[in-house]
Amino acid sequence: MAKLSGLQKQVLSLYRAFLRAARTKSVEDRQQMESIVAAEFRRNAKQIDRKNFIYIEYLLRRGNKQLDQLKSPATVRLSTLDPNPEP
Amino acid sequence: MALRAAVLRHLRVPVQFHALARRECQPTPCSGGSLRLFSSHDDHMTKDEVIERVLSVIKCHPKVDPSKVSPDVHFEKDLGLDSLDTVEIVMALEEEFKLEIPDKEADKIDSCNLAIEYVYNHPMAS
Repeated sequence: MAKLSGLQKQVLSLYRAFLRAARTKSVEDRQQMESIVAAEFRRNAKQIDRKNFIYIEYLLRRGNKQLDQLKSPATVRLSTLDPNPEP
Repeated sequence: MALRAAVLRHLRVPVQFHALARRECQPTPCSGGSLRLFSSHDDHMTKDEVIERVLSVIKCHPKVDPSKVSPDVHFEKDLGLDSLDTVEIVMALEEEFKLEIPDKEADKIDSCNLAIEYVYNHPMAS
């Protein structure tokens, strides 16, 4: 692996933390969470310019907040809205 | 009353039978086999076992072509994975070997060889 930047490490560590949080949920919810989280990270990895530090840092902060909510035992499910559904 | 007594007498037989049967199935507590379970060092996994289990975890990743996997492959150069896929594989290894790999170590694992070395040298891997 090419040497990771500090920002990349933060993103990967957030991804790891999400997958860890999903492990604490039921099998079914976990699979659903993992696929949503994986799709979101991958989509952003593709779309966002790797030099757009401000936006990436914003997403990291937002992700960390979402992670805190997900960690709560009361949270059992994630859901997403797709504003531009494919025709 | 007579019926109840008759039924109870009838029931007792299978219960005793089960209790005895179960005791026979369990190994005696002092046998060597069960004692070794408490030690993680003495009967550590062999290197071949580690290699085999690491490879099977990697082959299970949806983006990996199982025919390309060998102990010497590099995740990104040889298997065409990105850093997110690598995170997924390392997390899967954590579950397979019941480990918790800290971020600092996990960031370094980028090839089969490193994964095998890490798991093999980890005292808690099982």
